[in-house]
Amino acid sequence: MRLLLVGINHRTAPVELRERVDFQTGGIERALQELAGRGVALEAVVLSTCNRAEMYAVCEDVGAARADLVSFISQFHGVGHEDLVPHLYDAADLDVARHLFRVAAGLDSLVVGEPQILGQVKEAHQIASEQQVVGPLLNRLFHASLGTGKRVRTETALASGAVSVSYAAVALAKKIFGDLKGRNVLVIGAGEMGKLTARHMKSQGVRQVTIISRTMAHAARTAEAIGGSAAPWDEMDTVLGASDIVITATGAVAPILTKAHIDAVMRPRRNRPLFVIDIALPRDVEASAGEIEQVFLYNIDDLQATVRDNLARRSGEVSRAEAIVGEEVERFGAWFRSRGAIPTVVALRQRFEAIRRSELERLDFKVASLPPEARARVDEITHLIVEKLLLTPTEQLKALGDSDTVGAYSEAITRLFGLEAQQAAEQQVEADAERERGAGRVEPFRRPQNRPR
Amino acid sequence: MPLALYSVALVAYVWHFSARDAAVGRAATTLLVAAALTHTFVIGMQTMGAGHVPIAGATSAISTFVWLLALAYLYTEMTTDERAMGVFILPLLVALQAIPAFRPSAEVASPVLQGPLFGVHVSSLLFAYASFALACVIGITYVLLFKEIKAKHLGFFYARLPSLQVLDRMNQRAIAIGWIFLTLGMIVGAVWATQARGYAGSDPRVQAMSLQDPKIFVALVCWAVYSFELFAARRIGWGGRRAAYLSALGFAIVLLNFVPISYFLTKSHNF
Repeated sequence: MRLLLVGINHRTAPVELRERVDFQTGGIERALQELAGRGVALEAVVLSTCNRAEMYAVCEDVGAARADLVSFISQFHGVGHEDLVPHLYDAADLDVARHLFRVAAGLDSLVVGEPQILGQVKEAHQIASEQQVVGPLLNRLFHASLGTGKRVRTETALASGAVSVSYAAVALAKKIFGDLKGRNVLVIGAGEMGKLTARHMKSQGVRQVTIISRTMAHAARTAEAIGGSAAPWDEMDTVLGASDIVITATGAVAPILTKAHIDAVMRPRRNRPLFVIDIALPRDVEASAGEIEQVFLYNIDDLQATVRDNLARRSGEVSRAEAIVGEEVERFGAWFRSRGAIPTVVALRQRFEAIRRSELERLDFKVASLPPEARARVDEITHLIVEKLLLTPTEQLKALGDSDTVGAYSEAITRLFGLEAQQAAEQQVEADAERERGAGRVEPFRRPQNRPR
Repeated sequence: MPLALYSVALVAYVWHFSARDAAVGRAATTLLVAAALTHTFVIGMQTMGAGHVPIAGATSAISTFVWLLALAYLYTEMTTDERAMGVFILPLLVALQAIPAFRPSAEVASPVLQGPLFGVHVSSLLFAYASFALACVIGITYVLLFKEIKAKHLGFFYARLPSLQVLDRMNQRAIAIGWIFLTLGMIVGAVWATQARGYAGSDPRVQAMSLQDPKIFVALVCWAVYSFELFAARRIGWGGRRAAYLSALGFAIVLLNFVPISYFLTKSHNF
């Protein structure tokens, strides 16, 4: 049983191609059912987001399954084989695990550490579970990937800090006001940046967003777009007095809010904090206004600086996150490789059982005179003895670490117990182990770009 | 024994604050709970020995105060789910607990110090002081965070402390609770002193109970400071940083009154 991954992402394919192979539009459920119907993939999960489309599968023969997956993607989306192949990457076995763990950790995302991907990985697995196309291998793989993602989020700062100006503004507002529910936001000017920031504030549950612009019509239009209300320019002071957060984004050449102006507004507010976000260039708010007690003034440069700090901190955490991914791949690998011992275990058990049966038959004349209950007891006792004898070797075999050791032990046991009948299965394990080391790779695909650049 | 546990908990809180490891944080809380429980046991034993809660005498009052503060802090931590303050509270606990640990004194059962009024007087004042200690620490953290946000250097405290608004509200609440108990304790104390004059007029300490006694005078100053803060925060917008500074000043006076004045200066409260 092998793990296989075929996919494209934001690094290997342009957005036009990613749009065409987006499984969400075609229906992930339908894709999974059609794929299962082809009979090559024994288990399958489709992970499809705006930045990636990946198919995770369990198969017997990696080469054949890969070819099948590629032609499936091509047929399902109606994309020509030759258009698709140059942008695909693939991986097998533990490289699949490493890739998925990095994806779940946010290490493979466009913005490192972005938070949505973990939920998307979880959802992809859920959909596949509902369609009943996942089995023990992919279940284990996806659970391990979710665990890795959570570990990276809690143990590193990879996902901490806002990485866009408007989110940085929201994060700051939260640090000043705590909950933004019940706060009033004033947007001065009707530009895009102001709108975007106001939208983020709105999604945090602020009570009211008021837009003021020199032209009332502009204000009304912007207000409608973000679900706020508009107010005329000359009511600015009244609205300012009732606001907690002010976003200024006008095209004015001279400051529209001076220190004296804000000072006058602060007095009747009894010094309730006022967070002023000046994202206009040239600036709309006099810099000295930030000296007023309980006025927190941030301009676009300040916000960009915090974004830069956050990005720097995130990239500083990449190596720690990679180390966690490495540990988790190691742990998954131990389990994955121990599955290589299963044919030997099965053969060993069959061998013991065969001996028990043939001996019971051979010595049947000795117990023939016993009543049926006693004969049943003999059968039961011999069975228990065999189970007891096999218990420790079975546990030990399953606990073996790497595939080389598994191979050596399997060979030894095969010889010691004469398991030639299972020789064929044994060879399969050997071949798998060989390919796991990279010998059986087929060329036309690129490996996923696993290492940090 | 409680001192040792408080010290270990302090180390855990410092570790948690700098490394931001959730597991260390839980361990720190567990240690503090263990310390508080041990302390409860010790105070319980003393209560059984003396027949009343050990609050008569400066040394045992400090121990009881530490115990109350630990409980008050644990309550705050559990209700707000916020461990960041522990790193500021724990040093105070350890420093104050060191006094009774290194200067143990037996609980004296002075005949003057009997009756329910005396108990109410001391315990409500100790509770008020514990609230003020919390308010002071919250105030300090407020100022630290305020300065970071104002200076646009979002760093150490920004990543670790709750929002300014939350800190301000916690500070105000702690001050309000403390003020209520301070007022209650002082009124009960005055009533008790009048009564005590009746049956123990000859005791020099009871005679010294007047506004000229430093302990009583400074307590009144405290009351004035906190009353002003409550008034100012509500009426003239002295919330935020000014309130934080006032709560630090108020608690400095409380500490001054609680330790040096109790031991060296007062004539009326040196039991």
